[in-house]
Formats: sequence, C-alpha cells, structure tokens
Amino acid sequence: MYMSSTLKTTLKLTTFSCVVGLLMACAGTKTLQVDASRFPVPLMSQSPVSLGVHLDDTINSFVHTETIEKKGTWEVVLGPVQQTLFANLSSGVFEAYEFVDDTRAPHLDGVLRPIIKEVQFSLPSQTRSNYYEVWIRYDFELYDREGGLLGQWSLPAYGKANKNNFGSKSVGLQEAALAACRDAMAFFSINFAKEPVVYQWMSAGKPLAPPAPATESTPPEQTASAEASQAT
Amino acid sequence: MKHRISTANKRALLALPVITGMVLALSGCVTATVQQVRETNTSMSAEDAIVVLGRRNRPSQAESELDFIDCVARNASSGEDGVQVITEQEFMDAMFPWFEPRTAPLNTTELPTLLQQPELAERLRQIGLKYLVWLEGSTRQTGQSGSMSCSLTPGGGGCFGFLTWEKDSSYEASIWDAHSAKTAGRVSSDAAGTSYMPALVVPIPIIARVQSQACTSLAGQLKQFVQSGT
Repeated sequence: MYMSSTLKTTLKLTTFSCVVGLLMACAGTKTLQVDASRFPVPLMSQSPVSLGVHLDDTINSFVHTETIEKKGTWEVVLGPVQQTLFANLSSGVFEAYEFVDDTRAPHLDGVLRPIIKEVQFSLPSQTRSNYYEVWIRYDFELYDREGGLLGQWSLPAYGKANKNNFGSKSVGLQEAALAACRDAMAFFSINFAKEPVVYQWMSAGKPLAPPAPATESTPPEQTASAEASQAT
Repeated sequence: MKHRISTANKRALLALPVITGMVLALSGCVTATVQQVRETNTSMSAEDAIVVLGRRNRPSQAESELDFIDCVARNASSGEDGVQVITEQEFMDAMFPWFEPRTAPLNTTELPTLLQQPELAERLRQIGLKYLVWLEGSTRQTGQSGSMSCSLTPGGGGCFGFLTWEKDSSYEASIWDAHSAKTAGRVSSDAAGTSYMPALVVPIPIIARVQSQACTSLAGQLKQFVQSGT
C-alpha cells in the first residue's frame, strides 16, 4: 500500500515535471546567434583612408528581444559578431584601420562609430509569405582625428530566408539575420566613399571638423544690457 | 532453435531486395520538358568552371529552393561529361559584395562595369569562371484530393483511404558568359507529376519525383549547352 502511494506520487510528479518542462520549452526564449565565420572580406579598391573603428559597449552587447503572440520570445544576439563584421569589412574597404576605445585618434585620419539603431524581424506566419525577414538599421558617425563630429548617415539592411529551405523557425531567422548583416556589409562597402559626409571630407583632404557654433552662451551685448538693467 | 533463426534471417535477407525493388518501382509518373534558346556560341576548356546561382533580389514565389540549386550543381559536375562547378556560397564569398541579393547584377548590361574593376576581373580569372548560371523557378503543389484516416486502438492500428496530389516544377536557367559579358542563352525545364497514397491498413506512398526529374533534365541540358558550341 505504501509502495503504491509512493509510486503514484512519483508518477504524478514526473508527469507534472514533463508537462511543465514542455510548456517552458514551448514558451521559453529562443536565442539566435549569427555565424560570424560567414562574413567575407570585401573585394574592392580600398579607400585611401586610415580609420579607427570605435565599437562601444552598447553595440558589442546588442541583443534584440521581441515577443510575438503565441510564438514566444525571441532574442537575436548581434553584439558579439560586430567585432568580426567590422574587422572584415574595414580590412577590405579602408587602406588601414584599427579598433579604438574612443572617438579621438590623433594618429589616424578619423574615427568611424557604428550604432545599431533598430532591429525588426518577422515570421512567415505574420506576413503570410514564405520568408523569415530581418531588418537592421545602422547609424554611422564619422569623427575627425580629434574627436569632432563630421557627420552621420543611416544604413538600412535587410535579410530574408525562405522557410522551404530551413526546417525550423530558429534556423530560418538565424539565416535571415546573417543575410541582413551581409547586406549591411555589402551596402556599406559599395557606398562608403559615395556617402556625402565621407566624400566631402575626403575631397577636402580629411580636415578637422569646423568648431561647433556657440549656441549655449549668451551674446556679449545681451549680457551687457542685462547687467545694466539689474544695476538700475 | 538456432536453425529456425537462421532461416528467418535468410528470409528477411531475401525479402529486403524485393521490398526495396517494390518501393523503387512504386514511384509516380513524371512528364518533363526541356527547352533551350541559344544566343551565342559556347565552349569550355578543362580549366573553365561554371557557377549556379539562385536569384534572391526580392521575396518572390519564383525563388529557387537551395536543394534544387545544389542538385543542379551536383548533377552538372557529375558523369563523364561533367563540368567544373563552383558552389554558390564559395562564389558569393569570393566575389563579396558584388553578388549579394541587393547588389548582384540583374542583367548582362551591368556586367561590363563590374568586370572593369581590376580586383574582380583578377578574382574571376583565378577561379576560372566561364559561365554564370542564374536559376529562377520553383516546385509547387498544384492540387490535392482524396482523404485518409488513421486510428490507433489497444488491439492495433491502421489507415484507410486514398490520397493523391499533383506537383509542378518550372525552372529557367539564364546563362551569362563571364568573358564576353553577354547572355549565352537560356535553358528551361518543366516537370509535372501526380503522387498517390493508397492505404489499406498500411499507407503505400507512390511518389512522383517531380523536382528531382526537373533537376536531372535541367543539369543534363545545361552541361550540353555550355560544352556543345554552336
């Protein structure tokens, strides 16, 4: 009798654990990593520029988390691959580059600071198509060697993966994320020298940024009149 | 006892090829048509290679399946008349960023500008690329009818019914000459077939290998096209 009740309790517990486990597995967060070994070095004439590439903690640890109703929570981990992405990209596009800790690098021509501004993705069931799709919007800031901001531009990238080619949602989304990263690399490398900010800066001989106008300080005349009115 | 087991094994061994033969014989009928249009003369030397690429510039129903592209590349490189084939991924990595979905040339008029870049021309020479083959098309299920129900009881289980479905493959390969930067021609392959699944306790699938037939036909014609000259 005792054995039987123990067995029943054990069975109930096991069943309960299995059900809970299955529910957790279904509703749990799915983490997607991008394969950094699939970022090639661009094949092109290098731009005559030596740039520092500043990847701050925000981009290095970037994770996009999104919850889709009835589909669970998804994490697209993009941060850890940025170093490889920009190392391969820079070695193909720039004549010389190095990673720098700051936006100031006096021994180089300037510094490039990439920022991941926005990430979105969609599943085939949401768009009623055959595609997993990922959009990444990068912002790029270009600094002169003394850390003065020269300008910035945006780069929208897009990647897709056909669901017929991939067995699971995770693999499909992972492929779409990889395709979006490659698209960003491709578009950046082809258009870098044509970006108005870059083009003007390089055509002018890579000068320092003009000093920012003093908008905060009060003009001297106004200060004088204010002092005068206080005195009266 | 020992003798009986051995007899059973022998029977199983004898039955195995028969079952395999039956399964192989039970494939549905497929009709395939291959057509080609030639625009320029073609030839390949032992050092020349081709690459088979899928068009992916925008989401489309006509985007070819990765396994179909692999199948065409594999079949084109096999056999006595096989040609050298560079894999799609290898080519895209070697030519990055010029053949990505958003940057790949959409027609041959864009090729000369690309090939003017010394780095690209040199890389193409290194890999020995003679022809670029762009694949478009897909395999779709065009119809389905019948029904089947299966049940499982403590005493056993089984299925009963009859299912049938049709598939249609339609693919076109555009062949670009990487040396002259001109379209060499087009090869298309269409295949259609009906699969059946009768079930009387055990379902017996009689599958029409439509995509596989389209792949074999297209790859065979492609090999002939690039090698046969005029």
